[in-house]
This record gives sequence, C-alpha cells and structure tokens, in this order.
Amino acid sequence: MLFAPALVLLIVTTSAPLVYLLWTSLMRIDLTMPFLSGFAGAANYVKMGGDPRFWNSLLLTLIYTTTTVVLQVVLGLSLALLVMQIPRGQTVLRIAAILPIVLAPVVVGLFWRTLLLSPDFGLVDLVSHVLGFGSHAWLGDPQLALVSVIAIHTWQWTPFAFLVLLASLASLPPDVFEAARIDRANAWQRFRRITLPLLRPAIVIVVIMRTMIALSAFAAIFAATGGGPGTATEILNLYAYRTSFTEFNLGYGAALAVVLLAITLVISFLMFRMRRGR
Amino acid sequence: MSRGGSVSLRNIVKRHGSLTVLKGVDLDIRPGEFFALLGPSGSGKTTTLRILAGLESHDAGNVILDGRDVTGSEPGERDVAMVFQSYALYPHMSVYENIAFPLRMVKTPNSEIDRAVRESASRVKIAHLLERRPGQLSGGQQQRCALARAIVRKPRLFLLDEPLSNLDAKLRLETRVELRKLQRALDVTAVYVTHDQEEAMTIADRLAVFMEGNIVQVGTPDEVFRRPVSIEVATFLGNPPMNLIPARLAGREVAIDGHRLQLEIDYGVEREVLLGVQPSRIDVGAEGIPAQVDLVEHLGDSVIVDLELGTTRVRAKLPERTRLSEGANVHLRFDASDVHLFDPQTGQRVTA
Amino acid sequence: MKRSFARRFALAASAGMLLSVWGFPVLWALLTSFKTERDVLAYPPKIVFEPTLAAYRDVLFGASSIVPNLVSSIVLSLGATFLTLLVAVPAGYALARLELPAKRASGFYVLATQMLPPVGLIIPYYLVLQKVGLLDTYVGLIVIYLTFSLPFAIWLLVSYFEDIPREMEEAALLDRAGRFRTLWYVILPQVRGGIAVTTVFIFLNAWNEFLFAVVLGGNRVRPVTVAMFNFISVEQTRWASLAAGAMIAMGPVMLLGLIAQKHIVKGLTVGAVKGGGRR
Repeated sequence: MLFAPALVLLIVTTSAPLVYLLWTSLMRIDLTMPFLSGFAGAANYVKMGGDPRFWNSLLLTLIYTTTTVVLQVVLGLSLALLVMQIPRGQTVLRIAAILPIVLAPVVVGLFWRTLLLSPDFGLVDLVSHVLGFGSHAWLGDPQLALVSVIAIHTWQWTPFAFLVLLASLASLPPDVFEAARIDRANAWQRFRRITLPLLRPAIVIVVIMRTMIALSAFAAIFAATGGGPGTATEILNLYAYRTSFTEFNLGYGAALAVVLLAITLVISFLMFRMRRGR
Repeated sequence: MSRGGSVSLRNIVKRHGSLTVLKGVDLDIRPGEFFALLGPSGSGKTTTLRILAGLESHDAGNVILDGRDVTGSEPGERDVAMVFQSYALYPHMSVYENIAFPLRMVKTPNSEIDRAVRESASRVKIAHLLERRPGQLSGGQQQRCALARAIVRKPRLFLLDEPLSNLDAKLRLETRVELRKLQRALDVTAVYVTHDQEEAMTIADRLAVFMEGNIVQVGTPDEVFRRPVSIEVATFLGNPPMNLIPARLAGREVAIDGHRLQLEIDYGVEREVLLGVQPSRIDVGAEGIPAQVDLVEHLGDSVIVDLELGTTRVRAKLPERTRLSEGANVHLRFDASDVHLFDPQTGQRVTA
Repeated sequence: MKRSFARRFALAASAGMLLSVWGFPVLWALLTSFKTERDVLAYPPKIVFEPTLAAYRDVLFGASSIVPNLVSSIVLSLGATFLTLLVAVPAGYALARLELPAKRASGFYVLATQMLPPVGLIIPYYLVLQKVGLLDTYVGLIVIYLTFSLPFAIWLLVSYFEDIPREMEEAALLDRAGRFRTLWYVILPQVRGGIAVTTVFIFLNAWNEFLFAVVLGGNRVRPVTVAMFNFISVEQTRWASLAAGAMIAMGPVMLLGLIAQKHIVKGLTVGAVKGGGRR
C-alpha cells in the first residue's frame, strides 16, 4: 500500500550496495594504475590473511570496542546511581549530559585534538601538569594515542548510558526495595540482588547499542589522529577507509569493509541471541 | 425518524487462520428492536457485531441493511453508529468536538452542527461538560460522550459493544435503564453485545445466544429463559444457573433416585435424561426427594442454598425468611411444568 | 533518612564530576572562542581576559568563511529531514497497521540496516554516485542520507503509531472520516510528540554526518562538519577560530539539545526499551 514503495526503496538501497561491495571486494581496482584493474577472485582476502596491518587493526578494534563499552556502562551506571540520590539539580545535570551527545563526533575529535590534548595549551595537559604528571604527547605517542581516542569516545557517549540507565532506575518500582529493606538487606545487597537484576534488560540494550556504534566509530578518531600515529589507532574501520580513499585501492578496501561487516553481523547476532536467552 | 433499520445476516462465516470463528450465522432483526447478542467470551458475538459495522471482513455470507446488500461496503457508508467498549473518544478534542466530528466529516453547516451537538449532549445529560476533554471526565461521563457522538447523526443502526462493562456495578444498573429509554425515544434499531446474561435479559426485546461461533437460540428473554434449547444455554442463563440432575425417563414419568414425578406429556420412550430445574422453582419442605444442605448464603432479599442430592450438587433460591442449617436433611419438590429434559449426550432438549 | 556528611560529600563530588568532565570542555571551547589568538597561546592560561569577537569575525566574514558551509549544512539537513518525514510518517502508519507476518520480518530488517558500519556502504555508494554523476550534488547526498534516516525514522514512528488504540481509528472510520482524514484529524495529533522526537533525531544525525559528506561531497556540497578541518593546516592551528567555528557549527544542535532535552531523553530511552525488544 503506502509502505510498498518505501520498503522497496529501503531494500534496494541497502542490499544492492552490499552486493556491489562484495563484488568490488573480488576485484582489483586501482585508481592510480587503471591498467591493473580486473577480476581478482579471493586474492584480496588471501592477502588480508597475511597482512600484519590488518591483524593490527583487528586487535585495535577489539581493544577499542570492549574498553569503551565497559567504561561507558560502568561510569554511566555509577553516575546514574549517584545522581538518583540528588532530587534537585537534575535538569542541570541532564543538560550537561546531553551536550556531548548532540555534538558531531568529528567536532568532538577536533576539539579534543586541539583544545584539550595539545601539549602545553590543551586543558588536559594543563591539568596533568598541575597534578604533577607533567606534559605528554597525548596524541603523538602511540600508546597514549590509543588511550586518548578511547577516552574521547567514552567521553562523548557515556552520557548516553547515563541517561538511559537513570531513566531505567527511576522507573523501578519502589516497593521491591522497601520489601528488601524490611528483610534487612543492606545497600550493597540491595544493589547486587535487586537493582542489578532489574536493570539487566536496560544494561544489555545499552551494551548492544554502544557496541554497534563503537564498531563503526569513524569521525572522532579520524579527526583526532587520522588513524595514527602510524597505525596506532587504526581500527578496521579506518584501515578500510584509508585503503580505499587515501591509497585508492578500492578492491582491497572493499574486502576489508566486508570483513568488518561480517564481524558486526556475527557480533550483533550473538548479542541478540544472548538477549533472547534471558 | 424513518422506520428503517432492519438487519439481516445470511450465513456469515469467518475464519481466522485455521480457526473458524463464525460457522454460518443467520439473523433477522426488526426495525426499532433492541436486540442483544449474548454469549461467553470467544463465542463470536463481538465479531458478528464488527462484521455488521464493516470493521471486519468475512469469508462467506451477506450482510443486508434495509434490504440492501452492504457486504462490500466501507464502514463509513453503512450509516451505522457504534459505541466501543473503550469508548474510543478522541483525547485531543473537546467533548463538543468529539460529538461534532461525525457531522463535520459530512460537511454539515456549523449552525446545524451546533444545534445537533447541544441536543445530543442534553439527551445524555452532559451538556454542561462540552468544553472539557475526555481525559477530564469520569468513566460514566465518557460513556455518555461516546453515546452522544453515536446518536448525533441519527443513524439507522446503533451498535453497542459491551458499553457498560467498564462501569462500576451501581452505575451499570442505572445506565442500563437509561440506554433502554434512549433507544425507545430515538426509535432506532440497536444491536447490543454482552456476556452478562442478566443485562441482556433485562434490556433486550429479543436476544440471540452465541456458543462457539453459532447462534444456538433466538427469542425474547422470556422464551429463552423458560425454554432453553440446550444444556449450554440453560446453564448460561440465570443466576444461579439451572440445575441439571441425572434422571430416568419412562414415558410419562421421570425418576430421580427412585422418586417419581408425573410429567405433563408422554414422551413415549425410556431413556436416561438430564433433568433441568431453575433454582427459584425448587421448594424445600418435608416431602419429596431427599437432599442434604451444604451451604447457606443469605443475599438479603433471597437465600441461596447449596444442596447435595445423591452425588449431584443442586442450588435452590428460596425466600429470605427461610431458615435452614448446614448439614440438615431436607426434601425437594418442584412442579412438572418447571421441568426441562435434556439428552445427556447431545445436550439438546428432549422432545416428545 | 539521615544523610551523613560522607554521603553528601560523595553525592556532591559525583555531581561535580559530571558537570566538570562533561560540561566544562564545552565551556572551555566557548571561552576560547572569545580570546585572541595570542591570548589562547598564553601560558599559564588566562581565565580572565578581554573578550573579543575577532575569532567570530574571522570565521564568518574572513577568507575561509564558513557561511557557505552553514548553508550547505542547512540545505542538506532540512532537505533530508523533510523528505524523511514525508515518506516515513505514512509508511510508519501503514506498517503499524499491517497484519502481515512480514511485519515482524521487516521490522527486524529495518533494525539490521541500522547496524551496518557506514564504511561498508560508502564504497559502493561512491562508485554508484560517480557513475550516475551525482557526486558532490545535493540531490545525490540527500538520497544517500535518506538511506540511513528512513529506516530509523520508520522504526521509531511505528512504535508511536502502535500505541494508538485501533478502536479510535475504527470510530473515525464509522464517522465517515475515510483513511486519510482519520490519519490527519485523529491519529497525527496524538503522535505529535513521537514525530517531534523523530524529527529531532533525524535532524541531529543529518547535521552531524561526516563520513558520507566528506567522501561523497566536494567543493559544492561541503557541510560544516567537513569545513571544520579548514582551521587545521600544516602551518598552524588557528585556535580561537577553531573554537568559534565549532561554536557556530554546533550552535544549532546545541540549541536543539537544550530546547528539546526532554524529547531527546525520551527518544533515547524509547529507543533503548524498544530497540531489539521486538519479538
């Protein structure tokens, strides 16, 4: 009826490119040397297996994703629990929480790169100096760079976890807690045995959503480090982009993207399965 | 108000997947009648009403309004008004706008709308609430608003889907009477769905009893109550419902536990039957079939006694002054004219 | 309930941390935008300084003014939002009312499209747009934006439409409203809140989009998110200008965030509750 054309459009615009992507991944498209282009079969994938830069990006993706998601949930939950106890001033806190979320990730990345993480002038550097940790090349040092981009992502998205969990907490029925108090459960016990289990559905959903976003995070890292220094922050996402649009190796870039896609699908499938199982 | 509003349903069949919800429903409703569709949940009465309204499709059969086959017509084309169980008021409009809505949809001039809305509202006594929103009304007031919206366009058919079930008991009784008076005043055909048999019995001119997708009996409340056509119908009506006692029929006599009762006609056969008798028709006294009192409930204006007759539980409805103690041994009597005989296998009434 | 001092302290500290860690950086950028370039590079940093609009003037009227980029962003975002709503509202309504088993499948499908990493789609999109000659055009980019905003909008709207009881529509149909007028007079006024939430999210996503804009855009279509890089070059970083540019570029979304904060929170939690919860 009304829905048919929209649905058709949807299916076409999302499935067709995927097919095209797969097809491209089987080709060798080199925009700098057009005469070398042609069908390559699985050559791109074979190449990937022996490509250390690929395995590096995979590892980085794993570290990046798990760390940011865990941090977001832990921090978000802690803050939500604490803020729950403050009846006044919730509006101000909510506004403070919303600002990072509505900003464009690319702007956040640039922000941090310049205003916060610059040696000597950045806010973070100043604070670290004051606290006695000295000045560092937050984005220039390979290890610190990874920490920094993780921090950036966590900074921007923890408020999301915070807001969702706060709303969830606020909707929990108070009588269950009263019953627990009558049963002489202390605060920690109440938290572990009542709050946490009741919050489980919300936490799971936050984990799923944030994982998906972390896997496809691009703009912030691109703005902050571009994937560097070297390949220190080059998650699979960025590797695929660089390969396709900086090195113009579209065939290989497509293959990398396909692998990322496959990983995302597998993880999302597993996560939904986990959710159903509850 | 023209004397239109005759309704006919011919062999309506409705399937829902592998389930047949309506198995061939036939019905004739006369103009100006207050007709009830009565039955337990899931028996198909609401589905039938919605098919009449055009809100649901059916797989076979015809719907005929005033002689015209409207089977394929849209709900808006049938000149039918409906009061939903949930009232379905438009929450973002005032009471006035809610009632005016059907008239606005057919581009009635504003002066005419104003007159009609005020008239409908005063008929159901909510004229003072016209500026409020549905959310600010009580349950009873919302119900009247739904009624007003339905009657404002003077439809030829008025459908009501359990409109009183969301009201508290006292309000239900009061509104019942008012509904009846309203229908009479408007002289419009009304089809009323309910699972409350007492409601149907008091409010309807005629009723149809639905059981599992079929109409099993049609008639006036009196007819259906006095001559239920099957055990299903008999045990559905009445509060408490009809008692069923295993008995043996022999020609003109029927015997319960050896005690014989003479009947009005000779059935000419010898067989096992289930004997039905209304609780209000049982006399408790010194003579008759022995039974033991189990439980006595005082209802204020009557007394319900649970008795054990052999292995059968029997309930009797007795005058308030009755004094019986639990455990007492008593005797039961009833008239031959109050006896109904049913076939234990088919559940149907046994005829001579 | 007695509040011990330690407890009050912990609470205040947490609230303080929230405000400072998440609110302060933005404040810092705001302050920086009013400094002169020299003041910015002062060490130790100046908290008290003489504010100036020099950075803003540079950003708006200077050689590399971001005003054309603002225009680009506005056209892209408004266009994408408007078209998305135009299609998604009736589609969401139809899908919500559909009885087909296909409904479950399509709902799931819609959700799945949200999870595809954009990098996967960008390569084919680039190649296709190039072939069709729609690279660096508003038409091309808006169409691409639609591919990710439509599923999301439909998914959100379906849940809002489903909250409206069916009987209300049936009452309207019996009142001779017809399908379209029922939608217009009865249903839409009630999903106004849901449509508002959806609009906010679609606009935010479109305005903040970077990857698609940078790859599929060019010299003509260059929203502010891409233009931000103007302020960083090999030679030097123009700090105050960057801060001013960021303030302007993010001005609309920050404003939207402040005005619509209740809507946004509602949208996030609705999305979280119903996301992945469709059985």
